[in-house]
Amino acid sequence: MAKIKKAKQSNTAMWIMLSPYLFLLVSLGVVPVIMAIAEIPTKARNNRNGGWGVIGKVIHDFRLVPAAEHMLGFVAIFVPLTIVFVVMMALMLDLNTSKWKKYIRVAYIIPASISGGVAVLVWYIIFEPHFSPFKPFLRLFGIKRSDQIWQTSHLVWIFAIMAFFTIVGNWILIQYGSLQSISGEVIEAARIDGCSSYQIALRIKLPLIKKYIIYMAVLVFAGGLQLFVEPQLLDTGVFQGISHVWSLDQLSYDFAFTNGEFGSASALSILLLIPSLIGALIVIFKTDMFEDEESAARKERKQARKALEALEAQKAVTK
Amino acid sequence: MVAATAFAVAAGYTVAAVPAHAAIPTITVWVDAPRLPGAKLYAQIMKGKVNVNVELHAQGDLVAKVALFNRVKKGWPDVVFGPPNDVSVLRDANDAMQLDGLASPTFWKDIANGNNWCKGSDGHYYCVKNDMAQTVLWVNTKLVKQFGYSIPKTMTDFAAIGADIAKNHPGYSLGALGDQGFYAGYLWPSQCPVNAATSATSVRIAPNDPHCTRATALVQPMLDSGVLSPSAGWDADFIKDYGSTDKVVMTIGPTWYGDFVIRPASSWNVPAGEITAYPMPKWPGEKVAYSGEYGGGIYTVSPHSKFPKEALAFAQFMVTDKRNIVDVVNPDGSHGAPTFPSTNSGNALWAAKTNADTYYSPSPFPAMLTQFPLIYTGEKPVSYDANGAWSIFSNELKKNKNAQAALAAYDAYTTNLAKQLGYDVKQN
Repeated sequence: MAKIKKAKQSNTAMWIMLSPYLFLLVSLGVVPVIMAIAEIPTKARNNRNGGWGVIGKVIHDFRLVPAAEHMLGFVAIFVPLTIVFVVMMALMLDLNTSKWKKYIRVAYIIPASISGGVAVLVWYIIFEPHFSPFKPFLRLFGIKRSDQIWQTSHLVWIFAIMAFFTIVGNWILIQYGSLQSISGEVIEAARIDGCSSYQIALRIKLPLIKKYIIYMAVLVFAGGLQLFVEPQLLDTGVFQGISHVWSLDQLSYDFAFTNGEFGSASALSILLLIPSLIGALIVIFKTDMFEDEESAARKERKQARKALEALEAQKAVTK
Repeated sequence: MVAATAFAVAAGYTVAAVPAHAAIPTITVWVDAPRLPGAKLYAQIMKGKVNVNVELHAQGDLVAKVALFNRVKKGWPDVVFGPPNDVSVLRDANDAMQLDGLASPTFWKDIANGNNWCKGSDGHYYCVKNDMAQTVLWVNTKLVKQFGYSIPKTMTDFAAIGADIAKNHPGYSLGALGDQGFYAGYLWPSQCPVNAATSATSVRIAPNDPHCTRATALVQPMLDSGVLSPSAGWDADFIKDYGSTDKVVMTIGPTWYGDFVIRPASSWNVPAGEITAYPMPKWPGEKVAYSGEYGGGIYTVSPHSKFPKEALAFAQFMVTDKRNIVDVVNPDGSHGAPTFPSTNSGNALWAAKTNADTYYSPSPFPAMLTQFPLIYTGEKPVSYDANGAWSIFSNELKKNKNAQAALAAYDAYTTNLAKQLGYDVKQN
């Protein structure tokens, strides 16, 4: 009897703790999605009689494939670049034991405080041969005129650089945090077994934070697909026409606010939700990101043991 | 008996309705920033007769907002100032009222020269043009005298001056083709079908028409030599290289080019006494020297308006009344309407203001007036974002410096946009 009561109590506590999140999830997540789906078949200029056929029209829109290509090109540069750089820097920061560490951490976070909109301006100035503080460096590559920089074909690189510097500092600190969670015993044991710092980083630390890296990869990818502010600002504010409907979110925006075709905009938004949802599902089910502590700790110990065993086995072989 | 009763009821209804009519009508007006002083003045003047709620909106806002108002079936403003293509977009959504019966024949006669854009293929008016942006030939008389040029009568003369500048006065310019510069100044006057809508559902977009290719062929050597720039006249690089250094010998540009591009200190800042305007040069073989148009906003009245007559009266005030055209005080301290009014009576009032302006020498007004009825009427309002797409043209032109290829890129883009909206697109 007492047991049932206790279970009930913890149930209520759970709901109380969950309710603020549930409220936000329903009001800002579920309801808008349902509204967007309901919006799709409404009448608009490109869908005079209404109906779901507009989804086909959106898929066959002449701007969709180029925009999707731009986005894929962009994430193909941006995601690997971010992951490799973040992991490298986090591992190095974890190694560094000097007193400068906290200042270095601050140095990492500062570029991250520059949000998308500001980043466009900052990078415009950096790249623009007339204004750039790195003029001599640009000259080195023979870049003297602005049209050598601002070309549609260069945009995947330009936006990748902008997005990279905006988020990389944050992620370095997060991954540094995940490295801190590795128990000192494991590292100690590895060291006693004769691992070099390099081996510890690659063979002990890296496998142990693998799930955090996958988590980062999925979030960075999903975030990258939603690129909007940078191309939109560049097109309207800096170089007219250079990135007109360049990204998928811009296309959705153009449907809604240039043409008043809210159904098409909703259809595209829902289509864009799919890759992000798949990403979320991968994080939840294919990584152990959301396992409870006990089983996670158990797994971690097991993994560490395995890694050590593998190392020892290797040593035995080399001997 | 039945009929009599019905009459009585009807009569009774009419009588009962009188108090409602006696109440002061209320209209909501949307304008952009340059039109705001005039609209506020109108609200003041009408106090006690009509309640005028003036709201400031960016021009681009209208289409999306109206789509939302249509959804909730309320919130429509009564009369709106917007960009020229809005009339087509709004008519598609049954959201632009036919205006013929709401104003006197005198008014329609007064605006006949200026309101072709608003005339539907059915011959009725669906909007009122606020101002005219017909292109003229802006000339720097100091430079023309210095180089010994005469004012070009034909586009061939114009191109010859371009060739001479390239050879003998490198670094000087005949203007900029970016944004809508090439469209309004060359393609449209040459009668090139760029957005030549023939009905609400069909449009001719034909970049290879001889009227187009003669324009691209004419500008190409000048693009190659740098006499014509692929930028827009207000782009930083054009201002730096040509505008602010007073190196633009002459340029085809709209009526507002003088006050908004050539004159301002933050723009070309050309000294007083050098600038005037001449009529457009003729294209070879043509009898008429047509103009294109570069902007020029419109007023539309919502069919949901309870007081459409009062709504239209606001637009009439803006384009004919001396208090707006000459007297109203703008935030920058200047007086009157900023741009060439669309009515005969309005631009007669505006003439005095422009003629009295000592910046120009002599006054550019006669050339503007000459070109006023000569805007070629083949280009029409369309429902796709034809103006926004000029950024594609500019970008293409900057990249490849090839006028025909840039026009083809623009046309390919707008053809796709038009087809999506169900337009039947004729490409030759």
